[in-house]
Amino acid sequence: MTMQERHPSNKKIPVAFLCVAVVLALAPLGLPLFAMTLLTEALILGLLAMSLDLMVGYTRLISFGHAAAYGLGAYASGYLLLHTPLALPFAVLAASVLAGVVAIGVAWVCTLTKGVSFSMLTLAFAQLLYAVAFKWTSVTGASDGLAGIPRTAGPFGVTVFQTKNGYYYLVLVCLLGAYLFCRSLVGSPFGAVLRGIRENEAKTLSLGYNTRLYKIAVVAVSFALGGLAGALYSPFAGFANTELVFWLFSGQVLIMVIVGGQGTLIGPILGAAFFMLLEHVLSQYTESWALFFGLIFIGFVMFAPQGIWGLLTRRARV
Amino acid sequence: MALLELDGLTKRYGGVTAVNDVSMRVEAGEVRAVIGPNGAGKTSLFHLITGIVPATSGEVRFDGRVLSGLSSYQRCQAGLSRTFQLTSLFPEMTARENCRVAAQARLPRRWQPWGGAAVFAEASGRGDEALERLGLTSMAARPAGLLSHGDQRLLEVAMALAQRPRVLLLDEPTQGLSVEETLTAVETLAGLFAGGGLTVLLVEHDMEVVFRLASKITVMHRGSVIADDVPSVVKDDAAVQAAYLGGYA
Repeated sequence: MTMQERHPSNKKIPVAFLCVAVVLALAPLGLPLFAMTLLTEALILGLLAMSLDLMVGYTRLISFGHAAAYGLGAYASGYLLLHTPLALPFAVLAASVLAGVVAIGVAWVCTLTKGVSFSMLTLAFAQLLYAVAFKWTSVTGASDGLAGIPRTAGPFGVTVFQTKNGYYYLVLVCLLGAYLFCRSLVGSPFGAVLRGIRENEAKTLSLGYNTRLYKIAVVAVSFALGGLAGALYSPFAGFANTELVFWLFSGQVLIMVIVGGQGTLIGPILGAAFFMLLEHVLSQYTESWALFFGLIFIGFVMFAPQGIWGLLTRRARV
Repeated sequence: MALLELDGLTKRYGGVTAVNDVSMRVEAGEVRAVIGPNGAGKTSLFHLITGIVPATSGEVRFDGRVLSGLSSYQRCQAGLSRTFQLTSLFPEMTARENCRVAAQARLPRRWQPWGGAAVFAEASGRGDEALERLGLTSMAARPAGLLSHGDQRLLEVAMALAQRPRVLLLDEPTQGLSVEETLTAVETLAGLFAGGGLTVLLVEHDMEVVFRLASKITVMHRGSVIADDVPSVVKDDAAVQAAYLGGYA
């Protein structure tokens, strides 16, 4: 009963979800190839932004280092595809799991602190990874990065992921699956504790919850999904380089979450698409597109803190 | 054997002794008040019992089990639920959700990362029951942050109660309330305690509140216990009167 109170639109969502899934599944029929490339990348970034939303929007753990998850996934799947006979879906999965496991250690350290210190530690960790990516030539290819990452065939002779549209479907399935997973997570008893931590961590602790364990768990899940996004990106782009781990990118992902609407899962996906679209359009007119995007970001923070999704759902309610 | 036993509990902050060699026994079913002027060490004592700060020396025993080394969430899991001197709740959640999250903490599947209808139903049941016992049922659907200060204080008690604690620790439940609000709150709490079955340890500096609610009183002054008895005896104790007059002078 209480759950329905909190999600009054609970029953409508599966219908809306199916509609969106069908439209996205039909996209390759109507869109030219270059648009499909953009859309695939937007979905990958959407997955990354959504994964960060678990931390930022649902637990108020502000991470300035989410590029670390993306980079870990991208390098790991790139390395596996280049140097092992692992089939593409398994390489992607393995990279995602790796990012989640590494995150447990990172979160163990970062959750020793709170607030700004936590954010600084996530940034420090991401920069550490950036330095490793630059120096560990034999694995990461240093400043050249990993190039020529193949979309290998398999498993069982399946070759559909080698085509651009086939790969799009792999990304789409990952995103939709991750969305359903996250929705279930935030609506569960575990999710209720995260909400408690977001609103009042000291109280949540005194109620008998080991809040640090919950935080480590959510960081691990967030990194695993962010790693999944990165792992999907490097075979898609064919390369992985240090830009994927750079702090600037961490900031951009955070902006996608905030502009899209934190704590909504869907919002950050829209935020990622919006970011990409704007970058694409603005960069045709000016090299300093980031300046204009910055102004738009400031506008959102000041006048629409609920983000794009907040604006859309407010419209719908009026 | 007493349910909650403090033995030589001491807390020093540098040169300041906040709690000095405090020993106390709280029997099951008792409503014990710890009173004393501001700065007597009452809240520090609470922090030591609930594990928010570690003791310098001495120990807390709960149902015969030594709690030293257990963190605050573990002590809560053991059966000690507390409220805070400064209201602490989840302001954006409704009153019902506040109690539900509190009750959920005591369920074995509190961490379940999927579904959870059964967990929520059980927790909501316990939470609603606690709201009703504190007369907050009509406020259940309101965000906690929008309740009056008096109702917020009672909601925090309801949250602790929803955990079905073995000892309920209340840190100045009437803190910051107006005269009328205090009267309402005290009557609500008196009704709750009269129902029996609860073991309560409450900190308070308002003497009238204490004499209305407590079955036994421990008086603290400058970190030490100066009296420990039933209300009628404590009231006439010369040391207590001196401490209180001194404390307010």
